[in-house]
Amino acid sequence: MTRPARVRRRPGVGEPALWRFPEPVRTRLPNGLDALVVDLPGQHVLSLRVALPAPISGEPPGLEGSTLMMARCLDEGTGSRSATELAELAELHGIALGAGAGEHGLHLGVEVTGRHLGTALDLLVECLDEPTFPEAEVARQVRHRLTDIAHELADPTGRAHHELRQAYYASGDRARVPVGGSSWSVDALTPDVLRARHGMLGPRGGVVVLAGDLSTVQDPVRLLSSTLGSWEPSGPDAPGGPRRAERAPDADQVVLVPRPGAGQTELLLARPGPDRRTPHGWGTYQALSMLFGGAPHARLDRVLREQRGWTYGMRLGFRPRQVGGRCVVGGAVRADATRPALEETLRILDTPGESLEEHEVREAADFVAMTAPARYLTADSVADELVSLVGDGLGPETVTRTLQQVHDLPRGRAAQAWDEVRSGPGWTVVVVGDPDAIAPVAQAGVGRVRTAGPPQVSPRLRPPGPAS
Amino acid sequence: MTLDLPVARRTLANGLQVVVSEDHAVPSVSINLWVDVGSRHEEPGRTGLAHLFEHLMFQGSEMVGEGEHMAALMARGGRVNATTSFDRTSYVASVPRNALELALWMEADRQGHLLPALTQATLDNQRDVVVEEKRQRYDSVPYGTALSRLGELVFPAGHPYHHPTIGSMADLRAATLDDVRAFYAGHYGPRTSVLSLVGDVEAEEGFDLVETYFGHLEDATRPRPPSSPPLPPLAAPVREVVVGGPELPSERIFLAARLPGVTDPDFLPCAMALDALASSSISRVHERLVRGADVLSGASASALGLRDGTSLGLVVVDVTEGVDPRAVEAQLADILQDFADRGPRPVEMEASAADTERSWLEALAGHDERADLLSRATLLFDDPGQVDRYVDEVLAVTPEQVGGAAARYLVPEAVATLVYRWEEEV
Repeated sequence: MTRPARVRRRPGVGEPALWRFPEPVRTRLPNGLDALVVDLPGQHVLSLRVALPAPISGEPPGLEGSTLMMARCLDEGTGSRSATELAELAELHGIALGAGAGEHGLHLGVEVTGRHLGTALDLLVECLDEPTFPEAEVARQVRHRLTDIAHELADPTGRAHHELRQAYYASGDRARVPVGGSSWSVDALTPDVLRARHGMLGPRGGVVVLAGDLSTVQDPVRLLSSTLGSWEPSGPDAPGGPRRAERAPDADQVVLVPRPGAGQTELLLARPGPDRRTPHGWGTYQALSMLFGGAPHARLDRVLREQRGWTYGMRLGFRPRQVGGRCVVGGAVRADATRPALEETLRILDTPGESLEEHEVREAADFVAMTAPARYLTADSVADELVSLVGDGLGPETVTRTLQQVHDLPRGRAAQAWDEVRSGPGWTVVVVGDPDAIAPVAQAGVGRVRTAGPPQVSPRLRPPGPAS
Repeated sequence: MTLDLPVARRTLANGLQVVVSEDHAVPSVSINLWVDVGSRHEEPGRTGLAHLFEHLMFQGSEMVGEGEHMAALMARGGRVNATTSFDRTSYVASVPRNALELALWMEADRQGHLLPALTQATLDNQRDVVVEEKRQRYDSVPYGTALSRLGELVFPAGHPYHHPTIGSMADLRAATLDDVRAFYAGHYGPRTSVLSLVGDVEAEEGFDLVETYFGHLEDATRPRPPSSPPLPPLAAPVREVVVGGPELPSERIFLAARLPGVTDPDFLPCAMALDALASSSISRVHERLVRGADVLSGASASALGLRDGTSLGLVVVDVTEGVDPRAVEAQLADILQDFADRGPRPVEMEASAADTERSWLEALAGHDERADLLSRATLLFDDPGQVDRYVDEVLAVTPEQVGGAAARYLVPEAVATLVYRWEEEV
């Protein structure tokens, strides 16, 4: 058999096939929960998401992190079952249960095969309706969270984000403390605090999403109605509306964070950015993320990684909040290249919108638009997107609308959107690294410089180390 | 349950194995190419080359410019990546159906015609990038060097799994352009590769496209090295202490054991034993040491299935502050011994089966991971159908097999212990 000849001509690429984000069936459950159900044939593991409003801005000062801790303790004991019994029930049915918190409130996630969906829903209702927050289990979860915080701060990226929050947000703003709280506030969490926080939960303003292959689930809306839809706590009405996190008046600064012996320097920069309601369309900013910091050939890595070899990668992204958001740039660079890498980064970020080229805007926008079908193939990705949108007060049609905007994105709109970021309040710059490596930054003339002290953590039972 | 994924397989005349799984849920196709080369194929003094190639393959080939592979596909809605492990290097892409031919053409160009574009400058630049990757992922994070230390503890010097995949930076610096060229010629070719397509493409159409773009490739690879003989479990426990100083967020214990190779019938029972010991939330370590005594703030276990005779089993635990890690080590040894003596409880077997079913279905839900699993099944088991059978194989494992495997491979005497401590032990 003869081998085919080598194809030397580069194949062309036609137009992509038409595709739309899956359309959910939307109903209101008896208790007021907003329910979205999406049938995705072939997705045999169903993804269930529940988001309930409990804005963390409502956490009492000094008890930050109580929402996340309450979420994590929901399956640590109920009126009917102990923590071990709940774990056993979930494990025996292959139910993967996750609980978390965000700016808006609490979220729960379940992955489960169709035949165990009913059990998973009953389990979820039990956890929401009758958690007991046993003393020993709460104390254990608190200790685990404190350990997590220590791990976050020991990681250079985690430490950089910690310092960024401190420098960026105004004193007293909730956003200055991580969603999960600080070591001080977590240390103060007790079963009573969690019970009080749980008492704020209710279905009104909440949403449940069920996505996956529903061919084996008879009447999914009825199933949701008879389980989550019948959960009727005597909680208050949905809490108040969103608010803007306040930026510190002196956020425009450079923070040097000494980390003796570090072989690399972590750079982290942030300045104000949009939220998803931006008049330029959220997709415009997704394209800008790609254009500046989404690949080795993006503006930042083209120089810092591919030309200079200073970094494994420098990323740029936009982090929306309910109101307003941030543009965040970060990556680790070779220690001895700290100052030039920061200068080069700032120079690239100062690119005026008019310098963005037609082809790079087009390619970045096409990346965002054309990767969508594959991004939204699985049940979990569809469920995550829907619960995130609806929880943020946006409709499920937002994805398709955003993609259409990106598809038609003109260079001028991208340029204008970028100029608004670039000409807004200046960068907060955090530099974590060996003192000798980061010292030259102070002479670089990139802004007011201060040096951070050790992170403020609550006293811990730690054996004295050689350097303490 | 037996899955029934549509899977078709063909081997081209040049030796390239092709697997196609048709799924029209979305108009995209995932491409996964497993090359039978990993760090286990590296020569002494030339470690890190397999992983370096994962980088060089994006720096242009005969008809594709530097960086163009990624840029051109991303501009058309593609996502591309590559990973390297002990056993293989994997090149992955997910592209809209209309860009499939472009993706295959570019993939074939770098798989068969990389060397004309390989220059000293690209080699030097990507070596620098790899040095930064190592600093970022291994040297700058707590416990980042654990896996490489464990490899040294568990596998004897000279064994293919003794050195880490990222390799030695001194070896990388010493590598010449000629070394790199020889590595490519000896390892990259149709006979050492499996190409899987999953998504919006019919089987025959997929085979035709692969034949069109890869059919001309000639193979000059060296024969794959013979398998290393399976290593028996460690004859005596070994222990190493790393003093991390006060910067260490918590004291951590790694237990590592030699397990049978991934294709050995005893591998699955070992994996299930690790589930029951420390992975699931009702595992013994969770029940007794996390929820019960609260001497641990976290625990996990995994079975890293490896091809060359011997796999690696891991249990990782974080010790609660104020608790002596040596006391925890003794408790872990008791748990291992008890499990080896009595075998798993029925509830542990049931939990392992339920978790396997869900997590395997989850893995197959996405085209990328399904393509990866198909390439893996073809290269490791010489049968893409293994993907369909896997859950049944797990369900067929008996408690006696799990207990027996644990008694041989997961007893305290056969375990290497690596402990990260705040200060020197007294």
